[in-house]
Amino acid sequence: MELIRRYGLLLFFVGIPLIPLLAFWFIPMFVSLWLSTTDWDYISPEYSHVMLENYQTILTSDNFYAALKNTAFFSVMTVIPTIIFGLLFASLLKNVMKGSTLLKSLLFSPWITPMVAMSIVWTWIFQPDVGLLNQLLGLLHLPQPSWLTDSDTAMWSIIIVSIWKNAGWAMIFYADALSKIPGELYEVGDIEGTSWWQNSRFITIPLVSPTTLFLIIISLIDAIQAYDQIQVMTQGGPAGSTRTLLYLYYQMAFEQFNMGQATALSTLIVLLTGVLAFLLFYTSKKWVHY
Amino acid sequence: MHEMLHTSKSFFRYTFLIILSLIMVFPLIWMMLSSLKTTEEIFSVPLTLFPETLQWSNFAGALELAPFWLYMFNSAITSVCIVVLQVILSSMIAYALTQLKFRGKSLLFNSILITYMLPAAATYVPSYILLSKMGLLDSLTGIVISNVASVFTIFLLRQAFLQVPKEMIEAARSEGANDFTVLLKVMIPMCKSTIFIASLISFVSMYNNYLWPSLIVKSQEKYLITVGLNRFFTNVGSFADTWPLIMAANVLTVVPLLLLFVLLNKWFIKGISDNGLKG
Repeated sequence: MELIRRYGLLLFFVGIPLIPLLAFWFIPMFVSLWLSTTDWDYISPEYSHVMLENYQTILTSDNFYAALKNTAFFSVMTVIPTIIFGLLFASLLKNVMKGSTLLKSLLFSPWITPMVAMSIVWTWIFQPDVGLLNQLLGLLHLPQPSWLTDSDTAMWSIIIVSIWKNAGWAMIFYADALSKIPGELYEVGDIEGTSWWQNSRFITIPLVSPTTLFLIIISLIDAIQAYDQIQVMTQGGPAGSTRTLLYLYYQMAFEQFNMGQATALSTLIVLLTGVLAFLLFYTSKKWVHY
Repeated sequence: MHEMLHTSKSFFRYTFLIILSLIMVFPLIWMMLSSLKTTEEIFSVPLTLFPETLQWSNFAGALELAPFWLYMFNSAITSVCIVVLQVILSSMIAYALTQLKFRGKSLLFNSILITYMLPAAATYVPSYILLSKMGLLDSLTGIVISNVASVFTIFLLRQAFLQVPKEMIEAARSEGANDFTVLLKVMIPMCKSTIFIASLISFVSMYNNYLWPSLIVKSQEKYLITVGLNRFFTNVGSFADTWPLIMAANVLTVVPLLLLFVLLNKWFIKGISDNGLKG
């Protein structure tokens, strides 16, 4: 009787929530792995096992390496500035008495908006002739690139939007981390007459390094999965210059219905993310001070 | 002298902060201004900052071309259903992870931990096939069902449940409370603010979600706002004179979220900094 009650309890508390978790998270990860060894095209009921052929096709295709390069470029150029701006905003806000909540809210507000809607607004801002950005650049007599329609600048446009959207989010974490640094540390610096740069270099940056590690990992996973802004602003173009691995995956799976290759690519994306996260954790011992 | 240096320093700091804040919100302001301009104003070189007369008719024009109210209703209702189910299911499993003893508990927790780190994209193809087998493609139910498991919410709730003092749980048990009562009468009330924050963040990310819903819904009356907005943009975007209408549609999409943020901004900011790091 006691045993039945115990199992019933577990069935309820663990069993019920586990159903959607298994159905839409755990099992799909393995099914995806299995699908990656087939040549299934989604429509026909038949498929055959091709073993590692999909992986071979991907790893020998130029598209893959171009997308890998784009992903790496996009990730690095998004993650690093996001973190720098986050720390800059948070340091400026530290010790601000009046209006800090308002300023913080303004800086954070892009995070709350839908990426799809804001990508449309940015598409308008990036318009070559009438867009806000080029008109401003014109006033300053700076070069006016054609942004989204030029394969040299399209990725930069996507990067700008992504940094704009996430910098305020990083700021929130840094603001919290900075508020935990004891004020005395800076007072010692004041007495010894250290510069702002020395304070940052030897006090602030080392003491917020756990936050930096956390933000790098989360933003990196986020950057690898960026999709909305690319879909709205460039659809991977022009000439594939903004096609990232995830975008290539989307096109393979849901435009060409080449499920075998798509799932193989998704496995590679998972592997890449896992390896990067592991490397970051592993090397972090050298620069993160707890 | 020191005082003066200090004031000038903080003056510089304020000016810099105000400029940065304006730059960050400017795309939002620009969107709103553009939505109230005429086509001539929006295309004028050099640009005009303010519309001469406010063109409220742009909103009516956008609503005439696509049923944005319906899209927003679809998004709101699916997001609310998802959030409610997520909170119920996550609090159950978080209760089991923190209060019950069973075999495979650490395996379960580690699997959740790993899932949190991995790209969701890896699940799209199998989940899509599953939904199609269940006959739930092109339905809002399909979107709800495929989103009810949230590793993020499970994480936050587990963390919060761990903070509930043991004495309180034991006191409730000694008064004869069973597990259901402990969950409902002790854990959930004690973790109200975490549950609220998790719901808030989850609601916003579901309302803003695009990729997965865009794969599921195909018929217009089921579009979520993000899907409907992007289809509207691709359909009418090639005609130059529709930019004010597109901006009006954007304003309609973004304003509900901005209102939510204005009302609850302290919750968002505090919630993210308090809970995010522990996650």
